[in-house]
Amino acid sequence: MRVAIVDDEELARKIVREYLVDLEDVEIVAECANGFEAVKAVTDLKPDLLLLDIQMPRLDGFEVLELVGREVSVIFVTAYDKYALRAFEVHAVDYLLKPFTPDRLRKALIRARGRLDSRQPFPATEVAAAARPPGAHLERVAIRDGANVHVIPVSKIDYVEAQDDYVCFRAEGKGLLKQQTLGDVESALDPAQFVRVHRSYILNIDRLAKLELYAKDSHAAILRDGTRLPVSRSGYARLNAVLK
Amino acid sequence: MYVTAWLPIATLLTQVLTRGGTIGWREAAAIVFPMCLLYSFICQASWYLCRAVPLRIAPPGQRFESETVRLIGSHATAAVVSAAAWVAIGWVWASIIGSTFNISGIASRYVTQMPMLFISGVVLFVIAVAFNYLLITFEVSRKAESKALELQVLAREAELKALRAQIDPHFLFNSLNSISALVMADPAGARRMCVLLADFLRGSLKLGSKERIPLVEEMRLAECYLDIERVRLGARLKIQRDIDPECEACLVPPLIMQPLVENAITHGVAPTIDGGVVSLQAERNGAGVRIVVENPVEDEAATKNGAGVGLKNVKMRLANLYDGDARMDVNQNAGRFRVELQLPCDRELRT
Repeated sequence: MRVAIVDDEELARKIVREYLVDLEDVEIVAECANGFEAVKAVTDLKPDLLLLDIQMPRLDGFEVLELVGREVSVIFVTAYDKYALRAFEVHAVDYLLKPFTPDRLRKALIRARGRLDSRQPFPATEVAAAARPPGAHLERVAIRDGANVHVIPVSKIDYVEAQDDYVCFRAEGKGLLKQQTLGDVESALDPAQFVRVHRSYILNIDRLAKLELYAKDSHAAILRDGTRLPVSRSGYARLNAVLK
Repeated sequence: MYVTAWLPIATLLTQVLTRGGTIGWREAAAIVFPMCLLYSFICQASWYLCRAVPLRIAPPGQRFESETVRLIGSHATAAVVSAAAWVAIGWVWASIIGSTFNISGIASRYVTQMPMLFISGVVLFVIAVAFNYLLITFEVSRKAESKALELQVLAREAELKALRAQIDPHFLFNSLNSISALVMADPAGARRMCVLLADFLRGSLKLGSKERIPLVEEMRLAECYLDIERVRLGARLKIQRDIDPECEACLVPPLIMQPLVENAITHGVAPTIDGGVVSLQAERNGAGVRIVVENPVEDEAATKNGAGVGLKNVKMRLANLYDGDARMDVNQNAGRFRVELQLPCDRELRT
């Protein structure tokens, strides 16, 4: 089994490595100090399993799982027990609490091996929802672009557009695609800040410059940078409710 | 006790009744004393009325008059009704005495004194009402006093609880994990880490139970905490200290810096990939002492927030302990997060 260790603390990586070297048929293919390196390692090296810390700089364990969960099994390794329930909701193989014994790690690996053959389709959307505490809204969006990862704070998003099986996040003049439905994006974002103005558009209301009436019952939203977005009748009602 | 207070009143009323010269004092006493006993209970019942119509400072404006009218009206009605009923019962009583002891005409002689008795009844009722209001006010202020005392005790308890809750258990779990990792590769380092951890725990338990400690001890504890975190975070954490020996003897509340350094690690250094410098400074500032904790901070929007609880606690503690003589300033500038405390430099405990 090919394993990658992901933890921002060197000592924490060291102990996992120490436990793993004694095991037969386990090969450590990468040690990653942050989530970006982890995504890159998954893309380039295709490991079977990630031993993944949760609290890491910039890109946390749940965000890594959301991005690469289709390709790799995950065992979470963390000092926090509060994420355990959410970890199993997103089909993590196991959840190790620091510090742990070599035996405990071995058991987790046996589980992972059992799962390798029978991997289920991976619910990326559920991961995204489970990564947030209940009631909290999305604060940043992690988007994978091959081996690279873009992290966009939601405050920088201008609008989100549906494009077939993808959604396109528009921010700072660029568009980044992510495989997700617009409905899922809508329910993850703060409804006081982001409004579904149209079947295919979610608008950050801070970017709204003015609303124009261009046909009966039909409006267009003009953004600060001049972009025009269509506003449906129900979208207009939602917009009015939020702006009031 | 209450009933004996009515004895002088009964005596007085007997005098009133004999005044007309038509009733002898013995007869008068026979009528008045049971009547007073009865009236004492009626007046006591007015307490419920006072409770139902509390004295209020009317809000400025139109409501004042209606409030007053309601108050006076209800009590006046109650006074007139009770006094009238009382006098009527007195008449029945006088008739009973008259027929039982065969004293002819006592009831009709009583009737001549009825207006006088009625007025006394009203006056007594009003006095009782005033007395009741006095009692109620007294009770309210006593309750407020005990409530204030209770709040003081609660605030103190909250303060102690805050102190105890300040050590984040995940700090312990992460440290134990570091020790576990060091055991094989660097046994001496593992031992050093155990000692650091023991020092820190012992220090925070010991210091936490005191009211004030010298700044030098507080600094030592903060540095001990940072040394432990440096084992965990490695080269990502650099520490800079600049402590003026002048202010080492100043007395400060124990663990007042702990939330600041913890904040500097969990929200400053730990969420950054490259880490940075946490700096501790302390210097004299006039009659006080200025303590500054600074740490690097990621672009605000890109980090998940959650900071601020610890800092809010510090601010509240300072407000509680120094009553406005201490302050905490927080600012963020050019990637640095800075918390500054200004405390009076006490050399002995304030009371």
